[in-house]
Amino acid sequence: MIDGEGKKILVIQTHGVETPRRTYSPLFYAMAAAAMEMEVMVWFTMDGTNQLKKGAAETVKLDPNSDVTLKTMLQQTMESGVKLRVCQQSMALWNMAAEDLIPGVEILGATSIIDLALEADHVMYY
Amino acid sequence: MTEKQEIRGCVIRKDLYYRVDDHTWVKIDDDGTVRVGMTDVAQNMAGPLLYAKAKGVGTKREKGKPIATVESAKWVGPVKSPLSGEIIDVNPKVARDAKLVNQSPYNEGWIVRMRPTNLQSELAEMLSGDAAVEAYRQKIDKEDLKACVHVEGFEA
Repeated sequence: MIDGEGKKILVIQTHGVETPRRTYSPLFYAMAAAAMEMEVMVWFTMDGTNQLKKGAAETVKLDPNSDVTLKTMLQQTMESGVKLRVCQQSMALWNMAAEDLIPGVEILGATSIIDLALEADHVMYY
Repeated sequence: MTEKQEIRGCVIRKDLYYRVDDHTWVKIDDDGTVRVGMTDVAQNMAGPLLYAKAKGVGTKREKGKPIATVESAKWVGPVKSPLSGEIIDVNPKVARDAKLVNQSPYNEGWIVRMRPTNLQSELAEMLSGDAAVEAYRQKIDKEDLKACVHVEGFEA
């Protein structure tokens, strides 16, 4: 079994609130990697950006019988030590300003994501 | 008979040592090694476990570092080592069927055995008996943790 402790994982999420089924898994995998002591970052870009808008993720629920919303997932992901970052340029696409973001998310530009991709041991793209 | 207490249906055994914030317990065996597992509260929060993947035998851990990762359909997270030491055994039954942790969190569902390197001073940081029960009661109330629901065949 490969021990991934200390490895860097970059998860790129391009899907947002309009496709709920594509929102949970990347966060779940990010949490799994964090639990395995990896350094994990989720990068939200394109449509993925809109789930970080205040009030948006609360409305997304994969299982109607569950009390777990996408907001719950985002919260748990941050609590597990995963860093959440969002693409500056994609925010413009959704008319989002910094104050529209849920707390705990940092904004980065396109050059930063390239640096992060180069630094990561593995990139997972969704 | 093992002395225990229930808080919102969650069983806390008084003979074990706990790190309440990490939801882990320690049982000291006669040979000075320890068994480590998740509490009833932890298994309830996680839900029916699908996998419990422990670090390998021989892995040395500082307290607070993960000795295993566990996952259910709705949650995945680490089991943090309550003590510093070396993993000397991994529960093969749990490795095959993680739901054993839900069914028997304090007995058959132990996760690893460890040879502790700093037992006395680290045990002093943990809680046992009534102090553990009271600390868990406060945590459950403060965080408003949901009542424990036990699977068929549960024992503690």
